[in-house]
Amino acid sequence: MTSAHLSPMTAAVSTSLTRNATASRAHRRVAYTARRARRTPLVIAAIATLALSGCATFSDDGGFAPVADATQQRLGKSAVWARDDAASQALAKQRDDLLARPLDMDTAVQLTLLNHRGLQATYAELGIAEASLVQAGRLPNPRFTFQRVQGGGDVGIERTWGIDFVRVLTMPLASRVEARRFAQVQAQVTQAIVAQATLTRRAWIDAVAAQERVQILEQTSLATQAASELADGMARAGNFSAMRRTQENLVYADTAARLARAREQASAAREQLARQMGLWGQQLSFTLPQRLPALPATRPASADAEALAIRERADVRAARAALDATASDLGLTRVTRFVNVLDTAYRDNSATGSASERGYEISLEVPLFDWGSTRIAGAEARYRQSIDHLADTAVAARADVRTRRAQTLAAWDIAEHYRTTLLPMRQRVSDEWLLRYNGMLASVFDLLTDAREQRDTVLGYIDATSDYWLADAAFRESLGGGMPESSLSRSPTEATAPVASPASTAPSAPATPPGAPPATSPAAPPATSQPASSHQAQRHGGGA
Amino acid sequence: MTSRRRFLRDASLAVVGAAAVERTSLAALPDAASRSDASTAKPLAPPNGRPYRPVATLNGWTLPWRMRNGVKEFHLVAEPVVREIAPGMQANLWGYNGQSPGPTIEVVEGDRVRLYVTNRLPEATSVHWHGQRLPNGMDGVAGLNQRAIAPGQTYVYEFEAKRPGTFMYHPHADEMMQMAMGLMGFWVTHPKDPSFMPVDRDYVFLINAYAIDPGTRTPRVNEMTDFNLWTWNSRAFPGIDPLVARQGDRVRIRIGNLTMTNHPIHLHGHEFKVTGTDGGWVPPTAQWPEVTTDVAVGQMRAIEFDATEPGDWALHCHKSHHTMNPMGHDVPTMLGVNQREIAKKITRIIPDYMAMGETGASMNGMEMPIPENTLPMMTGTGPYGPIEMGGMFTTLKVRQDLPRDSYRDPGWYRAPRGTVASPWQGSTSALPSTHRPPASAGKTGVKS
Ligand SMILES: [Cu+2]
Repeated sequence: MTSAHLSPMTAAVSTSLTRNATASRAHRRVAYTARRARRTPLVIAAIATLALSGCATFSDDGGFAPVADATQQRLGKSAVWARDDAASQALAKQRDDLLARPLDMDTAVQLTLLNHRGLQATYAELGIAEASLVQAGRLPNPRFTFQRVQGGGDVGIERTWGIDFVRVLTMPLASRVEARRFAQVQAQVTQAIVAQATLTRRAWIDAVAAQERVQILEQTSLATQAASELADGMARAGNFSAMRRTQENLVYADTAARLARAREQASAAREQLARQMGLWGQQLSFTLPQRLPALPATRPASADAEALAIRERADVRAARAALDATASDLGLTRVTRFVNVLDTAYRDNSATGSASERGYEISLEVPLFDWGSTRIAGAEARYRQSIDHLADTAVAARADVRTRRAQTLAAWDIAEHYRTTLLPMRQRVSDEWLLRYNGMLASVFDLLTDAREQRDTVLGYIDATSDYWLADAAFRESLGGGMPESSLSRSPTEATAPVASPASTAPSAPATPPGAPPATSPAAPPATSQPASSHQAQRHGGGA
Repeated sequence: MTSRRRFLRDASLAVVGAAAVERTSLAALPDAASRSDASTAKPLAPPNGRPYRPVATLNGWTLPWRMRNGVKEFHLVAEPVVREIAPGMQANLWGYNGQSPGPTIEVVEGDRVRLYVTNRLPEATSVHWHGQRLPNGMDGVAGLNQRAIAPGQTYVYEFEAKRPGTFMYHPHADEMMQMAMGLMGFWVTHPKDPSFMPVDRDYVFLINAYAIDPGTRTPRVNEMTDFNLWTWNSRAFPGIDPLVARQGDRVRIRIGNLTMTNHPIHLHGHEFKVTGTDGGWVPPTAQWPEVTTDVAVGQMRAIEFDATEPGDWALHCHKSHHTMNPMGHDVPTMLGVNQREIAKKITRIIPDYMAMGETGASMNGMEMPIPENTLPMMTGTGPYGPIEMGGMFTTLKVRQDLPRDSYRDPGWYRAPRGTVASPWQGSTSALPSTHRPPASAGKTGVKS
């Protein structure tokens, strides 16, 4: 039940107790009220609570601190709510500082938190909710009316001093409801931040990957342009027929079309990123890194992901809060025992059936209450319904996390396969083509065709790397935005494709994976990491 | 030079017996001598039997024999071998007694010859004694004249070497495949009369060809036409030893062709006569002077000449692509194409790229890495620079001071002063006029 329903109801109940009275009557009435109040522990308790807590004032930060804390904890980023012009200017300054350097993924997220006007609008919800809370916690102002009636020489003075008595009576309930609502808004804002961070991450990954694809296609275009121009020269020298020449021209023209398409996609992806970061105007000239971040060096484990999700996810927390609210509304206090909503401690047995049990546990414990004294019919049923709802949410959340984690791992495996197996093999083929060219066993057209054919492998690698980071972003979101530090740590180096040129990296760079040749591909030559030319130097003119 | 040292060392030819495991069953057989060294062995002087002047097998050797009750007994073992085609390239071939081609068999006209043939190949084989007159059942065509020799089996052939001359031996079972793998050998039957057509030096070699793709080491056995290694005795230049002669020596070169195409063998500096063919010796009146003789498929030729001219004379097949090592048959002609601007672009994509072929295929001695176990297309360096040859190319080295029975490589010829072509140093006006016809002259009367 939300306070939105309660507020009008409260207003309706708080009919005025004002009535015509003399000053003394009015005085007596107040005294009566006080006397009634002494007989009513609820009211006393409420007033005492209000007096003691003194919470009927606005906080300094509009209630943003818990949100900022949660954001820091989940995203490792600071969220700032610009509540006045000075703060807005400070934010703009921070934004411009961040924009001065190439935006990596984290910076893009940080920028979003500072700059996204939609988020700022969301932050304002906090202010609104806090206002309701504060209002609910304040004693209604007493009302005093003075009426002087003159008629027939008689002067009647009517003085009224009233107070919204019902509102006073319901004040503790309203405060509790508003406090709950305020906490809810805080959670919603935090969730909005996480969601927006995820959108920014996705947009950033798409934009950088699209930009990388353009670079690869530019390389390809250069190769096909060289082949095309060479074919022109061959035709002029009488070495190529019109057909052979046109075939090379055609390949170049085709690459140009692909390149144009890729550029358009990169431009759209960049716009999408700018939009997610809330940039416009001159801010649009931001620069992005040349490449996607390197894959994590090791397969991300994130073994305690489910436990983390149960702890952090907004939906689980909301269901939990609803359960607590139900208990509170029912006035349940006497806890008899705790039960685990997930029934039994969950143990993660390795999927492969090996003996490696991770042995972490996920528990979501809730209290059970003593129902003996409750007079509310169906209260137990309502409480149990909330428990079931919480359990259902938790099960769904865990399934979501497991799915996201599996997708992340699969994406990592594929990208790693590209990195350690496909790219080195591709490089090896290029090296061998060059050796054949050197031995006049292949032509420059073979080299250029090979350079063009590298495109598909490298594009595949970019896709795989981008898929991994997208899966990673979704996984983080499914955890409620946070992730264990071990998984968050990321290699600072840029990694991905040999953009400079697949062949240019010659025997070095991605052709030489850091580790041993992957065991996954029996076809991989054992000397993959060795430059082809080093162990077999046959040389021209080296005879006699 | 390596080959020179090998030559001297070959005085003591390493003879290795058959594997111990087969000793028992093969105890009665003559030793199957084996050799893997690819240098030219010193001619094997006959230790017994009728006398003759032995031949020198180019980059090969002669099989020792055992004399048993007046019969010359040889033992051939057909087996997989590794042959160095030239330094830097080895091929997985099939051969006899450790080498492809197998050892030369030398006998004398009228000898009774018994040949044990052990098959250590993974498939059945047989041996056909190419050109010999012999009993039909000894001719070696599997299925037609005998059962094929199954793997592990030893067969015995026996016949009389009736006709003196030049012969070959090769399988006649799965013939194309086994010859594509290099299974073959040379045979010389010397005349009973040592004074018949005597020579001072008698060289023999087989012409063979392989299709071994760059970066591989086993021939493509199903190739019919597109061979890329043109070899003599399974060697390609610069792996073929020179033929050496003392000035004035009478020299005979015997050539057998077991490839699938003809080879016009060309000798520089001398005219020779074709003195022997497949069928025997050519009567002096019918001998035919040439500087190039075509050796057709399956043929044998013996050519003779007096090595009168000192120097290093090229001896090669005159099909120019047969004096090349592996080359890309699909590489387009780059001649006349300016690649400078394009090369800059290509270098941005392929940094190790270097433009080639604009002015021709010559590498001018440039060294670049090429695929493993692959011979450069053109190679070899002489006293005046790159020779830029491959395949069926070697030299005849004629020297005045070479000892009579020496086969050592005397090194590069030192030409007397003023006998080597050199740049013209005088004025161009002193040159004879080139008398170019006017540009229009070529157009008259020609209609296409
Ligand atoms: Cu030839």
